[in-house]
Amino acid sequence: MSSRMIPGTTPTVISKNSLIQWLDQIASQMRLIAPRDIDGNILYRQVGNAAEITWDYTRPVLSIKDVFFPPTEVLFTIEKIGNEVNIRETSPEGEQVLFGVRPCDAHGLQALDALFIATQPIDPYYMRRRENTTLVGLACPEMGATCFCTTMGGAPDDPRHMDLMLHAIEDVYLLEVVTEKGAFLLARYPLVIEPGIQPNTYIRPEITTERLAYPALDSWPEQFNQLYWEEIAERCLSCRACAYVCPTCRCFDVRDEIQSEQGDNKVYERIRCWDSCAGEAYRRIAGGHNPRAAKGERLRNRFYCKYYYFPQQYGPAACTGCGRCIDVCPAGVDITEILQFMAGIAMVEKQAQVEVGRV
Amino acid sequence: MTNDSFNPMEPCLGRVVSLKELGNEIKLFSVELLNGGSQNFLDYQPGQFAFLSAFGIGEAPFGIASTTERGHMLDFAVQRLGSVTTGLHELGDGDIIGVRGPLGNCFPMESFKGKNLIVLGGGIGGAPLRPVIQTVLDHRQDYGDLTILWAARHPSLLVFTDEYDEWRSAPDTQLHLTVDNPDDRWDHHTGLITDLLERVSPSPENAVTITCGPPIMIHFVNKLLVEKLGFASDQNYVTLEARMHCGVGKCGRCNLGDKLVCVDGPVFTMQEVGGLLESFL
Repeated sequence: MSSRMIPGTTPTVISKNSLIQWLDQIASQMRLIAPRDIDGNILYRQVGNAAEITWDYTRPVLSIKDVFFPPTEVLFTIEKIGNEVNIRETSPEGEQVLFGVRPCDAHGLQALDALFIATQPIDPYYMRRRENTTLVGLACPEMGATCFCTTMGGAPDDPRHMDLMLHAIEDVYLLEVVTEKGAFLLARYPLVIEPGIQPNTYIRPEITTERLAYPALDSWPEQFNQLYWEEIAERCLSCRACAYVCPTCRCFDVRDEIQSEQGDNKVYERIRCWDSCAGEAYRRIAGGHNPRAAKGERLRNRFYCKYYYFPQQYGPAACTGCGRCIDVCPAGVDITEILQFMAGIAMVEKQAQVEVGRV
Repeated sequence: MTNDSFNPMEPCLGRVVSLKELGNEIKLFSVELLNGGSQNFLDYQPGQFAFLSAFGIGEAPFGIASTTERGHMLDFAVQRLGSVTTGLHELGDGDIIGVRGPLGNCFPMESFKGKNLIVLGGGIGGAPLRPVIQTVLDHRQDYGDLTILWAARHPSLLVFTDEYDEWRSAPDTQLHLTVDNPDDRWDHHTGLITDLLERVSPSPENAVTITCGPPIMIHFVNKLLVEKLGFASDQNYVTLEARMHCGVGKCGRCNLGDKLVCVDGPVFTMQEVGGLLESFL
């Protein structure tokens, strides 16, 4: 355990009471999304006021991915009257505040930003939601049993990727202003500051899970270990729940659905919906050929994508160590187990290269 | 078009100007772009592709089967295989479709100049090769010999048959045909394209090959070229097919290891394909 002063900012201490007033004020003016207890499941959902927020959570069941990249969204409305077609792009939603964000979820936006914004062409749907949303983080009180955020470069109180960051100290909060966007929100909705606790009494959450070794980009095995993936695949049910809960999995499908039909006047919606490389049809092409027909090949793709392909293509790893996929897998497939296996293989390969004098 | 308003997922509208039966369940769509959509297609290149929308069903990628030099119409050969292609086949002359593109890289036609070209098309895989053939024929003096090997499972699946005369009559151009299962009237070679290739046995000297067809055909054609005919794998160009939903590197569907067929391809040399972590087979 260690204490720290937050560099470059003047941390402010606020009471829970003023935080609640602040959130109520925001909720009355715009969309406020925060952790809510819905039938025992904690989810980031819109709240009408601060009383609807749940404060007692480790991490919500789903990440904040769906706020920016919804499971299903209408890209265009296509109106077809006789042989005349009009395509209308879905208009952006208004401004919103996302409160109670855990560091692993904000970290997930780094991968999505790299793909949807930093890589041309920009995805306008994702970018508008990113621009219209202010992230207010809340540090984790502790690490969950399956959390491994520190392995992926995060931390339970990591303020990066947030606009504002809160750390709970008993019944008050330490506030960090991380970005100008955060400062702008505070300027519009001032928080009542109460003097009292000194910032240096803040104690960092304990790092309770071990940091795992995983192969660096240049030491990933050059060949797939087919037997290993076949063995893991014996457990996998291809249910794709891992991709659903993942803060960075972003594969999608696009198709049209009919919205209304009156004689020759038809309205369709072109929708984009989440997909996952674990599904059998994912790579199948018309005519039936499937280069990834075996379950093990598909599972392998998922892990290679997260730590090897995605970083090569877009920069950051497509994993934040949130551990949700471990929690949700009905068959006990554990991503940390796979990471350690890959690290082991990389080490053996490196050792072999040293022995034959290649390194 | 400013970058701010550009939506890479938005199709432009096109009118089906002519529809031609190209083979059994294969139709050639000639499309005229509407509302200034043709601005996007002013200088598309052989090997590029575009998404076609059958409104109400969805969109799918197709190799562009025309060249800018032969007019402003875009041609697409569509074989009825899945839901989008079925939707497209139900359309008629004058109907409106969506067109999104051009996408992907292209054949390096400039670097092919002065070389002998061996073009190998299998079934509907001939469609993205037609712009290569047309470009060579329209600039005949810029290229060496053109040898076309055209194959299909059955004579009814051979594409662009009514253009064979044009191809055959061009200088220094040969056309060889083969089918796996001939009908009574078939008087050309019978067998796989690899049999035909071995028989034609082109020289690797100052030559490139360009292949499009089913993955298994690409694999065995390259194997034969390299192992028996003396071609190096970087002389062998292919265009790969993959399931895609965006065509702009976002949807993740078309990855081959760390490469994406949509933006890193669809044109690759077999040397590049061989260096990929994952097989396209």
